Amino acid sequence: MSSSSQFKQLEKLGNGTYATVYKGLNKTTGVYVALKEVKLDSEEGTPSTAIREISLMKELKHENIVRLYDVIHTENKLTLVFEFMDNDLKKYMDSRTVGNTPRGLELNLVKYFQWQLLQGLAFCHENKILHRDLKPQNLLINKKGQLKLGDFGLARAFGIPVNTFSSEVVTLWYRAPDVLMGSRTYSTSIDIWSCGCILAEMITGKPLFPGTNDEEQLKLIFDIMGTPNESLWPGVTKLPKYNPNIQQRASRDLRQVLQPHTKEPLDGNIMDFLHGLLQLNPDMRLSAKQALHHPWFAEYYHHAS
Amino acid sequence: MTDVQVGEKSTSNSAPANMTVKGKEAELKPAAENNKPFNYKRISDDDLYRHSSQYRMWSYTRDQLQEKRIDTNARAIAYIEENLLKVREASNLTEEEIKVLEDKAIPLTMEEELGLVNFYAKKVQVIAQHLNLPTEVVATAISFFRRFFLENSVMQIDPKSIVHTTIFLACKSENYFISVDSFAQKAKSTRESILKFEFKLLESLKFSLLNHHPYKPLHGFFLDIQNVLYGKVDLNYMGQIYDRCKKRITAAILTDVVYFYTPPQITLATLLIEDEALVTRYLEMKFPSRENSQEPVSESGEKEEQNDTNTTKKNKEQNLDDGKSPIDSAKLLAIIRECKSLIEEPKPLSTEEAKKIAAKNYYCQNPLTLIQKLKRKMNEDTPAAEKRQKI
Repeated sequence: MSSSSQFKQLEKLGNGTYATVYKGLNKTTGVYVALKEVKLDSEEGTPSTAIREISLMKELKHENIVRLYDVIHTENKLTLVFEFMDNDLKKYMDSRTVGNTPRGLELNLVKYFQWQLLQGLAFCHENKILHRDLKPQNLLINKKGQLKLGDFGLARAFGIPVNTFSSEVVTLWYRAPDVLMGSRTYSTSIDIWSCGCILAEMITGKPLFPGTNDEEQLKLIFDIMGTPNESLWPGVTKLPKYNPNIQQRASRDLRQVLQPHTKEPLDGNIMDFLHGLLQLNPDMRLSAKQALHHPWFAEYYHHAS
Repeated sequence: MTDVQVGEKSTSNSAPANMTVKGKEAELKPAAENNKPFNYKRISDDDLYRHSSQYRMWSYTRDQLQEKRIDTNARAIAYIEENLLKVREASNLTEEEIKVLEDKAIPLTMEEELGLVNFYAKKVQVIAQHLNLPTEVVATAISFFRRFFLENSVMQIDPKSIVHTTIFLACKSENYFISVDSFAQKAKSTRESILKFEFKLLESLKFSLLNHHPYKPLHGFFLDIQNVLYGKVDLNYMGQIYDRCKKRITAAILTDVVYFYTPPQITLATLLIEDEALVTRYLEMKFPSRENSQEPVSESGEKEEQNDTNTTKKNKEQNLDDGKSPIDSAKLLAIIRECKSLIEEPKPLSTEEAKKIAAKNYYCQNPLTLIQKLKRKMNEDTPAAEKRQKI
């Protein structure tokens, strides 16, 4: 266990789901860390979000998941000492905006980030842990181009049965249609949908489905992906929030939606891959492991860890 | 977690041979096949378990566990004896008083501590069940409580004072929401006493909170036995076995098997208690002895994923992975027989015995009460503290 005097608190990095994050310096080693401070004045003792994040992060040691080094207790706060990362994907993409025009990332960088995202996610899923809140803000990056999953405040372990989850998770823009329609039996596929949204956003520089409420979110998704029906997605009409009166739409060509926002040509491989992630029917989505085997990643097969 | 190939925790932390073998096999596979990368390696649940904090931090050999308990006990004894010495030096004691101290203010032995811890662990179970908490939460509470007293002595922290704390923390860590006030009300406790040692508990647990219990493997084996012995087992009968094993697991997690064996091994041991012939047959079919098996056997440990939405995809992935089973059913049976005999060897303290130890624990920590008692010329035949110790 480290003591709090070992760390020098530097500038504030931001607010997490339940805590404030500061940059810190380990005075003994000279290594920068991220200090996530959790106030303990809560009437409930240590907040359960912190308990859950600690519990899961203790199990997840992977190069694409931000490391929890230590937990420090001082009088009225708990400090989680995390590996320091220079930036997050949201800020990085924002910094590339020229005037009011967002710019996507170069496709080779998109691929490298997506590969790392899926490596980290596959490890979570193998460990029977759902992230449930994947979004660019929670993907931390550093100057070496490494990407790591962070903020496991909403994550949870799953096993059997998986049918009792609350539907109040995942930031709206990256939320899967099955969750939006009130499905409570979701599993790993919920994180895969988010990965698809993030991939599209990295390509174009702007969110694919920027809805402001559940209804609009679904509408934006169906406008592009088409309205689901029983033949494409058996059981969809039985979902609690399925709207039978919704206007029927055919799916649009996703390439035509994305291509105007990037200079590089989007080939069949990347489009096929993206479609594998953005399947309306959760059972049809690729698993993280399958996604990593997609031909789009062929060049990584040989020198992956 | 139905993987069973983890042997009893060995003193060395070296990786099991089969992990290396698997890696080599994978390397030899051409990448084109199944569209998998060269270094494709299927991670078994067994590999995952070896990376869990439960295995890394809370699994021991018998010697390691014994040593840990001796250490914790010795540290507390040193502290208690130092304190007793101070009392004797500070006060001008009569011969009679010294004799009382020597007779009654004696630190607990390691065995007495263990007995008391297990006695209260059972209380944790009874209280948590009484609060209608889910099985996994109850099991986690017990595991927290017993691990806490591997690190701390009952002579330093009264087990009574953390019973509710462990249950409440288990609720939080298992994502079972209950507010501290409603918990306090149901448990007839107070917010302050529940939260007082919460951080101490977290610290003693080294913040490793994720638990793997034998209940999930039980579900896995329940499904897999029906699959492997299809048409040879009666569903109703299997249902009965399931319920009885669940009860046996609930008893087993109060014993030291949780430190020596993996959850699936413990599950198999309880199944063995219920129906030895069934388990033997199942294991022999599942893991045929290596000489006469040329047929690829799919790896165990997948049944747990049955409820996953993409079961079919996963199964396909698995079957393509035609590694031979590295598990020897005879060796496995020997391991689970050992585990079974430990489960069947419960020696819980009676309430009377527990009261006696609790009284002894009280006197060694509060020697002055003995002196005061003597001074008040109370009858030494009525051990008041024993009565006062509310268990």
